[in-house]
Amino acid sequence: MFQQDQAFTRLKRIRHVILVGSGKGGVGKSFVASALAVTLSKEGFSTALLDIDVHGPSLPSYLDARPPIRSTKEGLEPKAIGKLKTMSVGFFTGDRPAPLKGGEKQALVTQLLAQTNWGRLDYMVVDLPPGTGDELLAAFRLFADNCRLLLVATPSKRALSVVAKLSKLAKQEKVEVVGFVLNMSYLVVGKKKLYVLGKAEPKSVEKVLGAKLLAEIPLEPKVNEEGLLLLLKNNKELAEAFRSLSKGVGARAHS
Amino acid sequence: MHEMSLAQSVIASVLSEADKHEAKKVLKIHLAIGELMQLDKPILVESFKSLLEGPVLGGAELEVTDDKAAFTCQKCSAKWGIEEAKKQLKGVAAELMISEPESKELPLHFLPELYPAFIHCPKCGSSDIFLSDGGVIKITRLVLEKSE
Repeated sequence: MFQQDQAFTRLKRIRHVILVGSGKGGVGKSFVASALAVTLSKEGFSTALLDIDVHGPSLPSYLDARPPIRSTKEGLEPKAIGKLKTMSVGFFTGDRPAPLKGGEKQALVTQLLAQTNWGRLDYMVVDLPPGTGDELLAAFRLFADNCRLLLVATPSKRALSVVAKLSKLAKQEKVEVVGFVLNMSYLVVGKKKLYVLGKAEPKSVEKVLGAKLLAEIPLEPKVNEEGLLLLLKNNKELAEAFRSLSKGVGARAHS
Repeated sequence: MHEMSLAQSVIASVLSEADKHEAKKVLKIHLAIGELMQLDKPILVESFKSLLEGPVLGGAELEVTDDKAAFTCQKCSAKWGIEEAKKQLKGVAAELMISEPESKELPLHFLPELYPAFIHCPKCGSSDIFLSDGGVIKITRLVLEKSE
C-alpha cells in the first residue's frame, strides 16, 4: 500500500500521462510510444518514457538503452537518452525471461513508478503491453485521473477488432481516449504510397474505435535494422508523422 | 540509501493512516521486513528512528520483525527459503546490479516482485514458483491514540 502512496506522490509532479496501447501484439505500440516520447522531448517538453511490458520490454532495443541503472537518495535514476528519461523492466532483467503472474505484475508496475526519480515532467508516455490484463489495469488505476489513452491500430481488420475492445474497456474504466494512430498505414516507394496492409478508411476506423485519427504512420522497413533516433533523423516523412501525432496529443492534452 | 527512501514512504503511509483514523499520536509501529529485499536492518531501523519526530510521530515505538521468505514450486510442490535463493542470486550478471554510491545491489532490493526472473525451483528447475511470504515490507500493526 505504501508503494502506491509513493507512486501517487511521484505522479503529482507529472502534468500529462499518455498511455500507448492497442490490446493487440505486433502493431507497433513500442515503436509509436518510443517515437512519440522522443518527438515530445525534442520539441522541448520535459518527457519520460515508461515501458511496463513485463514479459517483452522493447524500449531498451528501440532506443539502444542498456543497464546498469543507478540509484541515488531520490530513487532509481531513469536512463537518459538525450533529454528523454526512460525506464523499463528490461533494465532489470536483461535477457532473462520474467514469468511474473497476475498480482505480481500489478505490484511491479506500482513499484517501478514509485521507486523511480522522475522529477517534474510535462509528459510521461507509457508503453503498455499487449492484452487487456494486469499491467493495463494497474496503469488505469494508478494514472486514473491524470491519463489519456492513445490507441495504436493498423489497417488490418483483425487488429482493429482487438483495438476496439481496448477502446471499450477504457471507456468502461473512465479513461479518456485521446485518439488513435494508424501505424504501418502505407509504404513509400519513390514518390508513391503503397497500401500494403490494405487501405483503411479513416472515417470507418474512427467509427469502430470511437476515437479520432491523430496521425498515419508510414511503414518503415528499416525499423529492425536502424536505431529509432537515426530513423527519425533520416526519414523526414516519419518524423513529420510523429510531429503531427505529438501536436494532436499535445493540443488535446493541454486543452 | 534505499533504506531511507523506503522508510520515508512507509512513514508517509503511517501518517496517512493516522490522519484517516483522526489519531493525534502514533504510539507503536510494527513492521515486517521481507527477507528477499536483503535490506540492511540496522540502517533501516536508524532511518525510521530519524523520522519519528514531531507531534504525531514523536516518541512512537518501532518494532521490526523479519518476514521469512517462503517459496513454493507450483509444478513439483518443493519448498525453500532465503538461503537457497541467495545461492541462485550469486549468478546475477554484474550489469544488472544497481549502482549505489557505495555499493551494488540486486534488482530485487528495489523491485522484489521480479523474483521469478532470478529464482527457480532448486528441485525441478521450473520458474513457475510462488513467494507466499517475505517479499516486501509490511506495516503489520499500528497503535494510534485517538483525538478527543
